[in-house]
Amino acid sequence: MIRLPPFAYRRPTDLADAAAMLAGEGPETRLVAGGTDLWPNLKRRHQQASTVISLMGIQGLAGVEETEDGGLRIGATTPLSTVADHPVVRWRYPGLSRAIDSISSPPLRNMGTIGGNLCVDTRCTYYNQSEEWRRSINYCMKAAGEICWVAPSSPRCWAHSASDSAPMLAALEAEVELVSTRGSRRIPLPQMYQDDGIEYLAKQPDEILTTIYLPATSDAAHCRSSFWKLRRRGSIDFAVMSTATTLWLDGHGRVERAAIYLGAVASFPKPADKAVERLIGEIPTPELLDQVSELARRKATPMDNTDFQAQWRKAVAGKYIRAALREALGMDPELLAPKHQAGGTPTS
Amino acid sequence: MYRWGGCSKLAELTYIGTSPPRPDGPAKASGLSQYADDVAVAGLWFGETVRSPVAHGRLRSVGWRRAAPPGAVLVTAADLPGPNGVQLIDDGWPILAEGTVEHVGQAVALVAAPSRRAAVLAAAEVEVDIEELPPVFDLSEARRQPSLYELELGLGDPEAVLDQAETVVEGEYRTGHQEHIYIECQGMTARWHPSGPRVEVSGSMQCPYYVHKSMVHAFGLPEEAVRVRADAIGGGFGGKEDYPSLIAIHAALLARAVERPVRIVYDRQQDIIGTTKRHPATMRYRSAVDAEGRLLALDVLVELDGGAFTTLSKVVLSRALLHAAGPYRCPEVRVRGRVLRTHTAPNGAFRGFGAPQVAFGIERHMDAIGRRLGIDPLTLRQRNALVPGDRLPTGQIVDESTSALACLESVARRTDFVTRWTEYQAAQTETNGTPQRGLGLSLYFHGAGFTGNGERRMNSPASARLTPEGRIAVLSAMTDMGQGAVIVFRQIAGEAAGVTFDDLEFPEPDTNEVPNSGPTVASRTTMIVGQLVARAVREVSAQVADWWGEQQPAASPYTVKDGRVVGQDGRSTPFAAVARSYLEVHDALEVTVRHQPAPGPVFDETTYQGPAYPTYAWGADIAEVEVDPDTLAVRPLRMAVAAEVGRAIHPRLCIGQIEGGTLQAVGWGLLEEIKLDQGRYLNDRLATYIIPTAMDAPDLDVELLEAAFPDGPFGAKGIGELPMDGGAPAVVAAIENATGLVVDEIPATPERLFAAQMRERSDD
Ligand SMILES: Cc1cc2nc3c(=O)[nH]c(=O)nc-3n(C[C@H](O)[C@H](O)[C@H](O)COP(=O)(O)OP(=O)(O)OC[C@H]3O[C@@H](n4cnc5c(N)ncnc54)[C@H](O)[C@@H]3O)c2cc1C
Ligand code: SF4
Repeated sequence: MIRLPPFAYRRPTDLADAAAMLAGEGPETRLVAGGTDLWPNLKRRHQQASTVISLMGIQGLAGVEETEDGGLRIGATTPLSTVADHPVVRWRYPGLSRAIDSISSPPLRNMGTIGGNLCVDTRCTYYNQSEEWRRSINYCMKAAGEICWVAPSSPRCWAHSASDSAPMLAALEAEVELVSTRGSRRIPLPQMYQDDGIEYLAKQPDEILTTIYLPATSDAAHCRSSFWKLRRRGSIDFAVMSTATTLWLDGHGRVERAAIYLGAVASFPKPADKAVERLIGEIPTPELLDQVSELARRKATPMDNTDFQAQWRKAVAGKYIRAALREALGMDPELLAPKHQAGGTPTS
Repeated sequence: MYRWGGCSKLAELTYIGTSPPRPDGPAKASGLSQYADDVAVAGLWFGETVRSPVAHGRLRSVGWRRAAPPGAVLVTAADLPGPNGVQLIDDGWPILAEGTVEHVGQAVALVAAPSRRAAVLAAAEVEVDIEELPPVFDLSEARRQPSLYELELGLGDPEAVLDQAETVVEGEYRTGHQEHIYIECQGMTARWHPSGPRVEVSGSMQCPYYVHKSMVHAFGLPEEAVRVRADAIGGGFGGKEDYPSLIAIHAALLARAVERPVRIVYDRQQDIIGTTKRHPATMRYRSAVDAEGRLLALDVLVELDGGAFTTLSKVVLSRALLHAAGPYRCPEVRVRGRVLRTHTAPNGAFRGFGAPQVAFGIERHMDAIGRRLGIDPLTLRQRNALVPGDRLPTGQIVDESTSALACLESVARRTDFVTRWTEYQAAQTETNGTPQRGLGLSLYFHGAGFTGNGERRMNSPASARLTPEGRIAVLSAMTDMGQGAVIVFRQIAGEAAGVTFDDLEFPEPDTNEVPNSGPTVASRTTMIVGQLVARAVREVSAQVADWWGEQQPAASPYTVKDGRVVGQDGRSTPFAAVARSYLEVHDALEVTVRHQPAPGPVFDETTYQGPAYPTYAWGADIAEVEVDPDTLAVRPLRMAVAAEVGRAIHPRLCIGQIEGGTLQAVGWGLLEEIKLDQGRYLNDRLATYIIPTAMDAPDLDVELLEAAFPDGPFGAKGIGELPMDGGAPAVVAAIENATGLVVDEIPATPERLFAAQMRERSDD
């Protein structure tokens, strides 16, 4: 039976207190929100903690509300299901609802938070195993070991970003607010990440993610967004690859601005810049979308560290990117994927 | 959704054919049921298992790494009081490793400590010193070693026909491991007593008397010194047929060593690593057919991967061979099979018991014949399907209830099969990026009850007796692991005795209380033991009514109906009141009946000729799938299932069995895969061992057909395993109909389909 290791548990009710605790308690201090990622990680001894600080008692950290400038602010501890089911989110930011609906299962979405999802640990077949299993291969670089089993000659870890909301929020040009005893700062979401499987967050360890801001210009009145996720089943499974797309069109149907982010193919939500460049100024046709998908696909260089054989994943990645683009433009996505829940009711 | 095909509710029956709520339902749904790990026991200690980290090696030593952790106790093979083998079919499965280790996860030592945490920490303090030896994983290598078992059966001289035949079709078909994934992992609690039954074990098990027998054997105790009780059971699927014997002995060894009650409960990872699974199979089929596709001769070789030890492999093999020719007529048949030994966890009982593997083999082979001759799957099966009076490869003549054609008719009608199958086949080449659809058909049968003379040998008893309150207590060793025996037995007993459910009592399966009515396996509970229950209660009720008639001769004879003893004058008295009066003048009333095999030929276990099963249940599936032409992801859309079940005692539960079994089969066919690397599990958790979720399930449209089996209770046949047989070949055939890709190995994952597509393209 796997059990949690012993640790001190704090539950502050005030954000400033939480920031002070996080700054003062030493390096083995961890934040927890819904705990759907942290608790299993502690149980399997992927991560260590001498103190765990829960954010769930902090007043005012949860909630979804429209801002004065017409955008949306989402508190970091808002449960995933609350975000996805919020009428304003469903209506104005349907791509976000779609991405969140694809995360794990209804009970986990009730427990898991949007902030926790953005900070969720990176994943790898050699890492997300039991303690005994990892011991039997002498661990790996990401926890307690020396080498990387995915790329043994590599000096770094290639564990991949697992968050489904991150690529979508990045494509929706979201910003995040980070708070520490040193003050607060607001940065574009992609700047919170960096390309390393171990140190995947560029955010400082003493910073608390408090708020996610969605601009008014990313809502359905201004742009079209879409999200597709590759996995074996229609529920529970993490992404093996995901693709989030947002397109801003002018009055003639020409692409003014675009964002394509790929999830689970790198240690951070990966932008497909070349593909985006190819789209700008064009009126998308099916042929153009095929070319754009191919450009984006080249960015998706999956390592052999998730479910599905890498060769197959490589072969199908383009199809998912294409589906998201086509769907954003109201075309048939021409993709069959396991159904997943949308809006609380199964769709087929 | 379900519907009734050839069923008619008999007007004179009260309970049979209705679907009353199960008595354990509310407790199960609300979480009040006490499963193995829920039962509170004072002074309980916890046990952990130390397992082999390597697949094969010489065990040099086992012991504490440093000083023993305070309070912890270690048990190794050296501490065994008796033979080091679990008594099942043979005794070759070690209780604890001794001399060598033979698979990753093999139990090497046991530790007990006062808390779970202390037990886990203590287990980590045990050092196992192993000198690694080269392991065998590959069947081609395993073939060079002696087999664990070999068997052969047949009829006529297929070789001669195959030599002469114009059309010979050959194929090799492979199926993989499958894990049971019962909701509740294995768990057992043991305690020793200074007097009375010396040792008592309780926990999650299908077969209290199997555990009993293996405990008697392992500890060298007299039978009455061992007491075994089943707690509420969270699923079994065969996985709690063989393994509970081992874990019971383990818990009892620790309890003996620490002189306190000890509980061992596996978490999911230990359960996947340590316990038995479905045997992977490789099957080679060679058949001669005429121009219409009629089978003229069939030669089959079935190889099962038994893993490192035999739990029940021998009987799994024999059931596999007995079903290998499928529900088809063939005059000349030879079926050979063997169980090969590899350094992986022993494979054992799993719903279907060898039959799902060969059902995949024969059904894919039938499709290969159809492909060769250009005959659609329905027509080919209709030409070959068994009809009453036909002969099986054992020489058994199939009975009047043989329903293969009726099952085919039912599924074909509901799906407009041939027309749509032909359209889909024609559309295979039009891959404009949109999903392709396909239909796949399977026909199958399943022998109900024990194989061969198992029932004859067991001669199982069941009893009924009057309680002081005037109720009838029904005594059998059958367990309810979710399948619904608790309600089905009430219906059978109520109907047979003419009493209400309130007039009945069903003591929990406890070897101190109930007779050995055999294991809860082999689809035998309703059909075999249900019939014993019916006979026993009918006898008790009749004796009470007759006695009452002697007291009141004016209105005699009396009958029992709806819980009342009714005289010829129409006046009646509650059964319980009459029963209490009966007990005022009699000491007791208890009736024990034993299984009576039907008269007629007896199965010959040396020649494998004769009736291997008293009857067969029949089924057909049509699966409709959608396949993405580029990613080759498969979505099963819907399935039409026809199941001929003799008589559905409780239609809702019967449908439940068929829906659940079909989904389990679809999971095995499309998703479920044990990935091994050097004998080590790469996916030993539910996050990585993938089973279908509700989101992956096809819509199931089940039609029940009824062709009564005269020797079953009210005509019922055993159907628990039947639905496991058809799902996998049907979905794989549907993939072929959609895409043209021929896949003869499951699970048919997108990667495997992709590889098939690559092969096909390079062949072009
Ligand atoms: C079976 C299963 C399936 C899953 N499937 C998916 C899936 O499909 N897609 C997916 O994206 N995720 C999945 N997850 C992971 C997880 O459930 C979600 O990512 C969830 O949103 C995490 O949120 P949480 O609040 O529970 O995070 P927690 O576990 O509380 O925290 C996760 C991490 O974020 C840090 N953290 C949390 N909140 C903050 C904050 N406000 N500021 C700074 N750091 C913070 C914590 O310290 C921790 O390191 C799955 C998990 C399980 C167990
Ligand atoms: S990518 Fe390499 S270092 Fe990172 S978790 Fe996987 S095996 Fe370990």
